[in-house]
Amino acid sequence: MSNLRKLIAGELKRMVKYKILPVSLVTSIIWIVLLLFLSEEEARATAPLLIFTDVAVMSVLLIGASHHLEKQEGTMRTMMVLPVSQGQILAAKTIASMTLAVESAVITSAAMFFIHGVTFNYVLLFLFVVIAGATHAAIGFILSLVSRDFTSMLGLLMGYIVIFTAPSVLFHFGVINEKYEWLLMISPSHSASNLITSAVSGEYRIAMTAAGCLYLMLLTAGLFKYAVYPGFKGNAVRG
Amino acid sequence: MGVTFNVENLCYKYPSAKEDTIKGITFDVHEGEIFGLLGPSGAGKSTTQKILIKLLEDYRGSISYFGNDLKSMGNSFYEEIGVGFEVPVHFSKLTALENMKFFSGFYKKTADIQELMERVGLWEYRDVKVGEYSKGMKVRLNFVRAMLNNPRVLFLDEVTNGLDPRNARIIKEIIAEYRSKGGTVFLTTHLMNDVEQLCDRVAFCINGRLIEISSPRDLKLKYGKREVKVEYRENATIASAVFPLDGIGFNDEFHKLLKSGKIETIHSGETSMEEIFIIVTGVDLK
Repeated sequence: MSNLRKLIAGELKRMVKYKILPVSLVTSIIWIVLLLFLSEEEARATAPLLIFTDVAVMSVLLIGASHHLEKQEGTMRTMMVLPVSQGQILAAKTIASMTLAVESAVITSAAMFFIHGVTFNYVLLFLFVVIAGATHAAIGFILSLVSRDFTSMLGLLMGYIVIFTAPSVLFHFGVINEKYEWLLMISPSHSASNLITSAVSGEYRIAMTAAGCLYLMLLTAGLFKYAVYPGFKGNAVRG
Repeated sequence: MGVTFNVENLCYKYPSAKEDTIKGITFDVHEGEIFGLLGPSGAGKSTTQKILIKLLEDYRGSISYFGNDLKSMGNSFYEEIGVGFEVPVHFSKLTALENMKFFSGFYKKTADIQELMERVGLWEYRDVKVGEYSKGMKVRLNFVRAMLNNPRVLFLDEVTNGLDPRNARIIKEIIAEYRSKGGTVFLTTHLMNDVEQLCDRVAFCINGRLIEISSPRDLKLKYGKREVKVEYRENATIASAVFPLDGIGFNDEFHKLLKSGKIETIHSGETSMEEIFIIVTGVDLK
């Protein structure tokens, strides 16, 4: 087994042992219960928001929780003296965080089908969840690297949500006028929300969807290359 | 005997610091020796170790590892070294064995986990979560973690800190065995007991500088008093007398005392490493 696969397996095992995966499943069950009480039309409008919440917020929370817990336990240091690259460590953590996002999307999609008989393009949804998940994992790393502990990281996340996520939710409920949507696409949260909504609703605006994909992929690459990768080792060593 | 590390004029400054933490230190670590870096907290011991294990990279000066520039070494460097950190470095919700299996899975050659854990008395607690371990057990598990890959060079930071005397002795025995098989040890500590029992050579580190590098024996000869102190019974009290070591075979007074049968203790004027450290550096280790 390659080192990357071993690292991913380790991350997933710890997600179970540290009760992160079970808690995520409980959250998904709450979503299912919520969908049970909604009409098909309401469910179609709400499902993207539920998936987006897991992708955008839960990914960041998972990265932050595991980062600060591992620093507290000292395991980050000992990982840095394993014969694996820093890139492999970051990739494993990112993939593990995306697993939660995918798990949420799968459960929500299944609930939509079994409760309301609604189907949508699952391949595109998976692709968009992965892209948005990777972006938010990078954001999670940055918030973790600049915060002292998990509590201060939560404070930064709140700030991020107010600036980037709240406008997207307001747009979703029609509070922000549609003519500002291109401007809103600067927000990673809105780009992610736009992609997920389009996959669930089946209503694609090609230019905006393509721009959203491209923007999130470039943003992810830029954040990892210029912010996460250079700061990760020093942060891990400081303990 | 080869040179494991050759360190020349090493300087290091933390990004947030105003001045260098390591201020131009030079030393060699020979293959098959236990090299001790001693100093009080904040002296630069751990920073030096972090540089040698490539956790800190933006240093000035040069470091070679078996003749190769340390900066040019890739991840394969970590196949060859074992690092025992001072603080616990394990996943607390995983059992000790799960931790060891996870870490050992990344090495090409690995030690026998059971044998190591048995030696340090942890095998019977292998299925206990590390979070439930005592401090001493975590320290021992740290040591096992460092030995997982049969390292060529072992870095140990305060390796017996927090251990009871029995377990400290077991760890020191394993380290001595490791050295006798050709392993190199870089030991950073402020515990003079460890130094006296283990180190072939020591370097005193103060404020980022190395003050003196020598063997514990040579240091004791250099800084010890060449005298013999005798304690003896006299009129129901304990009296003492000090004799110069030079020419003691011809010292009639000393011989008379020996023959009197009143002697309680005899001590040479050998100085402890702690006293030598204070003499050399002017700093108390505590």
